[in-house]
Amino acid sequence: MNILAGVDIGDLLGLALRASIGVQAATFALAAVGLNLHYGYTGLLNFGVVAFMAAGAYGMAIFFTQGWLGGSLLLAIAAGLVFAVAIALSIGLPSLRLRADYLAITTIAIAEVIRISFRSQRLLDLTGGPFGLPSIEDRNAEVSFSDIVTIDWNPISDGSYGFWRLKFDEQTLWVMILGWTLVLLATLLIWGLMKSPWGRVIKAIREDEDAARALGKNVFSYKLQSLIIGGMIVALAGITRAMNTGFVETQQFKPQTTFFIWTVLILGGAASVWGPVIGAVTFWFIIVFVEELLRQMVESGWIPSVILESNDVASVRMIMMGIMLAVLMIWRPQGLVGKKEEAQIDVR
Amino acid sequence: MTKTVKGMLIFALAAFCASLTFPFVASALDNEAVFRGTVRVGREVIPDVKVSIIDDAGTEVGSVASGDDGKWAIPIPYIGEFTVQLIGPLPDGISIKEGASSEVVVVLEEIRTTSVGFQLQSEDQKTILEIPPTWERLLNRMVSGLKVGLLVALASIGLSLIFGVTGLVNFAHSEMVAFGAVIALVLESSMGLTGGLFPIAVILAVVIGGFLGLFLEKGIFGPLRRKKMTNISLMVVSIGLAFLMRYLMLIYHGAEPETYESYKIQKGISFGPIELPPKDYYIIAIAFVTLVIVGILLQRTRLGTSMRAVSDNPALAESSGIDVNRTIMWVWIFGSALAGLGGIMIGLTQVVEWQMGEKILLLIFAAVTLGGLGTAYGAMVGGIAIGLASETSTFWLDNDLKFLIALAVLIVILLVRPQGILGVRERLG
Repeated sequence: MNILAGVDIGDLLGLALRASIGVQAATFALAAVGLNLHYGYTGLLNFGVVAFMAAGAYGMAIFFTQGWLGGSLLLAIAAGLVFAVAIALSIGLPSLRLRADYLAITTIAIAEVIRISFRSQRLLDLTGGPFGLPSIEDRNAEVSFSDIVTIDWNPISDGSYGFWRLKFDEQTLWVMILGWTLVLLATLLIWGLMKSPWGRVIKAIREDEDAARALGKNVFSYKLQSLIIGGMIVALAGITRAMNTGFVETQQFKPQTTFFIWTVLILGGAASVWGPVIGAVTFWFIIVFVEELLRQMVESGWIPSVILESNDVASVRMIMMGIMLAVLMIWRPQGLVGKKEEAQIDVR
Repeated sequence: MTKTVKGMLIFALAAFCASLTFPFVASALDNEAVFRGTVRVGREVIPDVKVSIIDDAGTEVGSVASGDDGKWAIPIPYIGEFTVQLIGPLPDGISIKEGASSEVVVVLEEIRTTSVGFQLQSEDQKTILEIPPTWERLLNRMVSGLKVGLLVALASIGLSLIFGVTGLVNFAHSEMVAFGAVIALVLESSMGLTGGLFPIAVILAVVIGGFLGLFLEKGIFGPLRRKKMTNISLMVVSIGLAFLMRYLMLIYHGAEPETYESYKIQKGISFGPIELPPKDYYIIAIAFVTLVIVGILLQRTRLGTSMRAVSDNPALAESSGIDVNRTIMWVWIFGSALAGLGGIMIGLTQVVEWQMGEKILLLIFAAVTLGGLGTAYGAMVGGIAIGLASETSTFWLDNDLKFLIALAVLIVILLVRPQGILGVRERLG
């Protein structure tokens, strides 16, 4: 399948497909499911999504590496989720009363405060500072909390599974299965919640906060509940990613990750049950396809180096994310599967 | 000019900064980690000085003697924490600066080239380097805070005015700041506008910054506003735009932090107890004068009055005969030009790089919300307050926490008084 010399379309499709079902896509889908509850259903403009990922991943990593809770990974994961609840309360209690744009600025600022604090030399013993967790020595010795999940808990026997570009080793396959299972469970949870009276109140708050208040609903409490439940789902995404990468570092939790998740959600369709999942799969397919296409075109000389050099291709991902976010917001705010009337959020 | 020389110049600039007690770390995105540096006192290089690197396990990674140009470089095989030691011998009359160490600990987080510097002094310099009394250092911190504050104020006015007249929280504003700095650098190096000609580059860059604002309003935000898009949607669009601009600057300008040729190294000039490089006096003066001019323009001219009127109440302004769209256009032009000027000034005091916008975004937000979103004077007051607070805090706190001070101020003010110091009280909940 050679349309352009030096560009292998089959290869591109394989790589893109691989990325679209990979662990990264699963973690982004999971995070987007959580954000969907915040933004899509409740109308909370949470620009600090990454704070919840950091809370889950760091909470788990700190409790595990410190050996608190008897070094049990399951308990450490639970601790990560509790940490995410604490973060949700500390973001929500003071700031949920703010108008949407002020809430956006506050949440992005709080997320940065958390990231910079984790990075601080003063917390070196706890968070590993700029090195992250596990420590450099452990990482050089290839010891990590992810081993328990990928090796000890792994029921799949060693080997390589799949075909063509979609071959995965037993560890990757296992984390993929876990990740997508979590995505499925979280999606079903949201589906169930939205069918329930609770979900109807949440959506009413998004549509008209004052009307919900007039009907005697405690708007603040409902918003806080939404922030906590969504935040725990996002925290699970952070933990899943930590299991895949094998370490946590503050670099993983920069604000750009938040906006990747936003792009995934808006691409799929906010306020729709399957939107985040469809968004994540499509997003990773497009990103990897275009990135690899550009890389191959640059390397085979179709794109002159004045326009793009091969080591700049990695930055194209960010540019594509930016363009996608803007273009979707302008022409298709409901994304691929969302309903237009549900995707228009305004201040007040 | 090669990257090495530029890196050295950045280092030299940092060495002149009295506040820097840490080794200056400049970086390049290479595929291989190398620690490098130049053994020097002031501008005088010292050859044949042995430098050795050990890792955190105590194993020696490598050692080398500085060359005739004083330079040394040692490749690093893995990431981690390394101690760089200056072993010697140092020539007579040259020693490690008092309070500094012959060992520098460098934390390598990613594979890249890192510059490591040692603080040396020659005998004749020793007397000058007495540590000044506490109040003098505090005063210097505050002056430096005032400088940073004026620059943040300059960069923030546009964001606040644009919010005032359109209701848009423009996340791409910080990229407009970075754009000005980068364009001035490109003009300086490509057109040879160095030294005395540099002001021409500044003026051109500010004008181009103004055109950027015009383009953003006429090409993007104006049409979208007429499409009746909500301000929240437009805010998300501006985030997308910010990423687009930031990474275009990375691709077409490069990852290397650079400094303006014209104002690389300057010896400090003392003014009473305050010691600053001459450029800082100019920067403070220019920023101050610009802010005063902006104030006068807003208060006294027809356009300024209509800007404040639209900001106050667009419907009322329109019905009293003000051309709202034209006013908004001029707000974008002025706001963007001021952002560009602020960016150049910030580039003069620090470095020019593609990440400038990302680094300053939340400072600008802090300044604008502290003063009150939508008011130009609020941005000025907020900017100066944020600058003073964050710089003065380094007197008591770690350097890496000064950003946290600004963010803490931002969060607290949003929670306690979301309309800011000068903002008009309205319902925000």
